[in-house]
Amino acid sequence: MGHDTAEWVFVGIVIAILFYVGVDSWIVQKAVEEIPADAETIKVTGQQWFWSFEHPDGTKEKITLHLQKGHAYKFEIYAKDVMHSFNIPDYVVFEDAVPGHVNHAWFSPEQTGEFPIQCREYCGIGHYQMRGTLVVEESKS
Amino acid sequence: MVLELRKPRPVWQIMFSTHHTDVALLYTITGLAFLFMAGVLALMIRTHLFFPGQGILISDPATFNRIFTVHGLTMLFLFALPFAAGIGNYLVPIMVRYKDMAYPKLNAVAFWMNPIGGALLWLGFSDTSWVSYAPYSVIRAPGPAADMMIFGLKILGISSILSSINFVVTILKCKHPDLPLRQVPLFAWSILTVSLMTLVAMPSYAASLIMLLTDRLGVSGFFNPSAGGDPIAYLHLFWFTFHPEVYIFLLPAIGMMYELIPRFSRKPLFSQASGIFAFVMLGLIGFASWGHHMYSTGMDFTTKVVFMIGTLAAVPASGMHVFNFLATMWGGRIRFAAPMKFAVGGIALFFSAGAGGVLNSAMPLDFITHGTYWVVGHMHLFLTGTIAFGFVAMAYYMFPFITGRMYSEKLANIHFVGMMWGTVQVFFTQHLLGLEGMARRIYDYPAEYTSWVELNQIATVGAWILGGSFVFFLANLIYSVAKGKEANMDDPFGLGGKYYYPYQAKNPTHHTGY
Amino acid sequence: MKTIIVVSVVTLVVLALFPQIHFANAQLGQKTSEKQYINLRAEVWNEFFRMTTAAFVVGAIVSGTMIWLVWRFRESNPKNKTPTRWEKFDDPTTGTYEEGGH
Repeated sequence: MGHDTAEWVFVGIVIAILFYVGVDSWIVQKAVEEIPADAETIKVTGQQWFWSFEHPDGTKEKITLHLQKGHAYKFEIYAKDVMHSFNIPDYVVFEDAVPGHVNHAWFSPEQTGEFPIQCREYCGIGHYQMRGTLVVEESKS
Repeated sequence: MVLELRKPRPVWQIMFSTHHTDVALLYTITGLAFLFMAGVLALMIRTHLFFPGQGILISDPATFNRIFTVHGLTMLFLFALPFAAGIGNYLVPIMVRYKDMAYPKLNAVAFWMNPIGGALLWLGFSDTSWVSYAPYSVIRAPGPAADMMIFGLKILGISSILSSINFVVTILKCKHPDLPLRQVPLFAWSILTVSLMTLVAMPSYAASLIMLLTDRLGVSGFFNPSAGGDPIAYLHLFWFTFHPEVYIFLLPAIGMMYELIPRFSRKPLFSQASGIFAFVMLGLIGFASWGHHMYSTGMDFTTKVVFMIGTLAAVPASGMHVFNFLATMWGGRIRFAAPMKFAVGGIALFFSAGAGGVLNSAMPLDFITHGTYWVVGHMHLFLTGTIAFGFVAMAYYMFPFITGRMYSEKLANIHFVGMMWGTVQVFFTQHLLGLEGMARRIYDYPAEYTSWVELNQIATVGAWILGGSFVFFLANLIYSVAKGKEANMDDPFGLGGKYYYPYQAKNPTHHTGY
Repeated sequence: MKTIIVVSVVTLVVLALFPQIHFANAQLGQKTSEKQYINLRAEVWNEFFRMTTAAFVVGAIVSGTMIWLVWRFRESNPKNKTPTRWEKFDDPTTGTYEEGGH
């Protein structure tokens, strides 16, 4: 086996692995990005240095967000002053809050309990304190 | 050189010299000095994060934010860039067989911008984080720190453009006519690639800095949504410069490994052609992936896919470098002197960091990793594991040529073991912290997250080991400059064979080796 | 020797891909048992574990090769007593591999 052949075989293997990575993440991302049509819309607003939430029925909450198990929720993410990043680590919900833009994320909690909410984009002195709590309750309906 | 013991000269002769080895010495020493300064900041950050809620060492979040900002800026702009330019200054004219850089005065001017830019960054101590995302850096960041940072970075950007022009002209126009470009050693190729990349990439950041400044002065609203601007525009301008900039930091280190590995393996390079091809490929593809820093800013699916493909496309070329290194070592008779140890350690960590990078580029994993300590660990594994390892290897390699004395191999061994161990312990642990969900750039974290506490403590201990190993590095440099064994200048590492030495550059007829 | 290496590399790659079948099945099962929504975090974390499996397998091959290289071709290895054929030149690192050095 000449040394050129060895290198081409190596590059071929690398490209094959990368192809697998690309296709796999394409499939998963496609599946994950599709927001269900019946998802309830929650407005999320980030500002220095807390999160506030508005439910479709007009109820407003600060820092703590109450949701129900088994429902799908779509977040409309706004920012008031600087960039923030809305993140529920345990449910892999993550999207930047950019002033002047509306971003979307969605999830459907399948487990009750309390989960932390945090800001994942540097936003100033209080960035580390910009935490909240997601409370998932048993479905009422 | 001050350090050149055979022919002592006063310091001012070096400072006002325009000879390429003198400028190179200034660059190298500046780079190393800033490495130690920024390293102290890093140790402060890590020590602070040892216990949650205690405020050890850093008692308020504003100071903490300033420290991580200046740590990042210093490591990138005042260590990585000047050090690479320093080694480039030593070797590029010799490699292309020219008497000096193409524009010696421009070279000195480009160097002297570094201390000025550095002074602005350090005296300002801005808190914008090194990326200084708008609109925070426009509407909230306190002045004059942020303005001083903008001016400092502006000056450093101009400096890197000037030195890039100088390198491009030196390599392409001043190359000896008998030397075909394809036979120019790969280190010079890496400098050529990164210089061309700088010329393409840097203007976008230079423009965005000016826009940031006028935004801060309130005369424009490019990035300020309340004045009709768009923060996303800043992100695009910024990352269009700074994703290619990743390769601008990385490729000189790879080029240094190309210099060291064949030499210490006592064997010609496996393939010069594939090294050149991989450099050029990386130089082009580096511009196709900036968007992967912005997956979460509301990017649509198609754009994400395009940038993912652009990111993945850079991997085969990086893989070709690793293949080239391993194939060069195969069948050699390797002397593991300190430079070779660091070079091989650097390749191993380069691979780990690259594998983490492939994971990052997979779009869905962005939900888990973006903006967490995973990213901190990943990018430090590149910067410390590959770039600093390559640079330290080169520092040890150049040491006898610059000073005429040998470094202490014993201290270098301690440095190597400590640096390897420390790097793995800090930055692999930070990957795990990211998976646990810890956001980056946070001053404090809740004590009830026990996994965060444990992992942070493991990382901090690793950072102390890493920092401690650099004490041995510094001690080795200082001790060996004054008291080291006289080096055999024909072949300081006992490899058998003669090759070019920077100290021969003092001699007008130095164009012998290559 | 070379065939052994090639065969073992191919085997390792195949073995690495084998667990994917399990992951794929698990995912299919999940989709049908879920009422109507996909389990976002399971999808993403499954992807993560598939990717890390691949990364660690490749990493094992590469770092294994490196460790072997460092052990076998170190100067102090008894098999490496004789100088390489390039060491007689002024600069052993010039010249190309193809020409056998100069």
